[in-house]
Amino acid sequence: MSHTHELAYPAPIHTTHNRFHSAGGATAWTDWLYGTRRFDIWATLAWYDVLLRYRRSLLGPLWLTLSMGALILGMGPLYATLLNAPLTIFFPHLTLGIIFWSFMSGAIQEGCQTYILAATYLKQAPYSRSIFAWRVVARHAIYLIHHLVLFLPVAAWAGIAPRPSNVLVIPALVIVLANLHALALSLGFLSARFRDIPQIVGSIMQLLMFVTPVFWLPDGLPERARIVLLNPLAAFLTLLRAPLLGELPSGRDWLVAALFTALNFTIAATLYVRCRRRVVYWV
Amino acid sequence: MQATRRVLGLIVDSMACLLLQDAAVDFPIYGAHAKSFKQALAAAATGGRIGTDTGVAVVQALRDITIELHNGDRLGIIGHNGSGKSTLLRVFAGVYPPTSGTLTIDGSVASLIDPGLGIEPDATGEENIYLRGLVMGLSRGEVAGVFEDICSFSGLGDYLSLPVRTYSTGMLMRLAFSIATSIRSDILLMDEWLSVGDTSFQAAAESRLRTVVDDAGILVLASHCPELISRECNKVLELSHGAVIRFDSTL
Repeated sequence: MSHTHELAYPAPIHTTHNRFHSAGGATAWTDWLYGTRRFDIWATLAWYDVLLRYRRSLLGPLWLTLSMGALILGMGPLYATLLNAPLTIFFPHLTLGIIFWSFMSGAIQEGCQTYILAATYLKQAPYSRSIFAWRVVARHAIYLIHHLVLFLPVAAWAGIAPRPSNVLVIPALVIVLANLHALALSLGFLSARFRDIPQIVGSIMQLLMFVTPVFWLPDGLPERARIVLLNPLAAFLTLLRAPLLGELPSGRDWLVAALFTALNFTIAATLYVRCRRRVVYWV
Repeated sequence: MQATRRVLGLIVDSMACLLLQDAAVDFPIYGAHAKSFKQALAAAATGGRIGTDTGVAVVQALRDITIELHNGDRLGIIGHNGSGKSTLLRVFAGVYPPTSGTLTIDGSVASLIDPGLGIEPDATGEENIYLRGLVMGLSRGEVAGVFEDICSFSGLGDYLSLPVRTYSTGMLMRLAFSIATSIRSDILLMDEWLSVGDTSFQAAAESRLRTVVDDAGILVLASHCPELISRECNKVLELSHGAVIRFDSTL
């Protein structure tokens, strides 16, 4: 029995030509960079995650599109009536809302499993730790592409024409992908050590879904309730959704996103430095 | 003895080296209770221990290990179940950074500890070769370079285009073995001698494994079989309860 164990810190390993740029030997930065560069590994693993899940079904990954389509078609008219909103405005809003929300929420919740599910890899070779966080994000990016095609018929139906400002969705996607990666690292390390974290994150995401304008239009919000729009996921959602609807995100959304990104990266970098060697002892 | 290694057909000296100094490996055992976030918060809030729950039980898997291995060394590790053989192999693989002491690995490491790990049952044999190759750290080009060799050596023929879940255990082992032995490394780690397949495959597997072992600068082999150790190894290390009780050049 030892109480000092929490302070004990695995020593760095001195290595030469390690195939995986070992989590033990490299600095945190080279370790992260190596994994990030091995696009071939994490993108392939993510692609097979999706492919193998649907391998024996007739429609394959097209099921992703179909089941999301059924959800949107069912909810759109119903909620438009309930909330008394014009369908041509509400339907595209809801479509992108659900698609981008399930992307962010899915990546964050599975981000908790980053290292728990990678246990067999971690125990086989000193893999760069960033590979597994990229794998989670890439998997959800593949889901996103399958879902996003649904917006095309909805936009055509609602008469939303392509505009130059649509390209703003690209910087928004880069920001969101980087944030999801950083969250997958942080939550991955923390969940490997504290197994309650995935449950806590699940509950928080459920709550956040209701205070984020996924299903409702933010215009209908009374002034004093607008504080809920300051939650970072609401800002990310607006950055992603507004350009595709031909609107411009407000400066407040960019500011909230920038502040959260700075905080998120700082936490992820700190945990990466502290936990990358220890995590194999936790899984 | 000067070990040699073939690179692109040329014989070169490989300068493999493994150094482990005063190393210890402690596994924290978080019980269902001690692992919870709530208790960590409670501990932080009160700034101390609450009962016995915040104390983390530690299993000392290895302690005071000092080993130096160079080119030509063939180390056999023996010891009772739970003596730390596999943990030591994983330390050499770089998987468990020692909780104290230092480890220096000079050279590329190949681990044949569990060659079947990470095989995707729903993917085809060919896809598994590709996936496992990438996961072993090879690039796409390098996988393409060894792909034909793996296919032909496995002898699985048309089965390679079928999902791996349709394979028999023996066929699966053939595939895993063929992939795992397709790359050469300076340092080779094995948990027991690999022996796979039916009688006709065993002979081929034996000679392929022989080449991989002979090409490696350093071999570390954990085994319960004294005959195997005395046949393959020129150094023997005996572990008991995580500590070295004997380190000799003969069995």
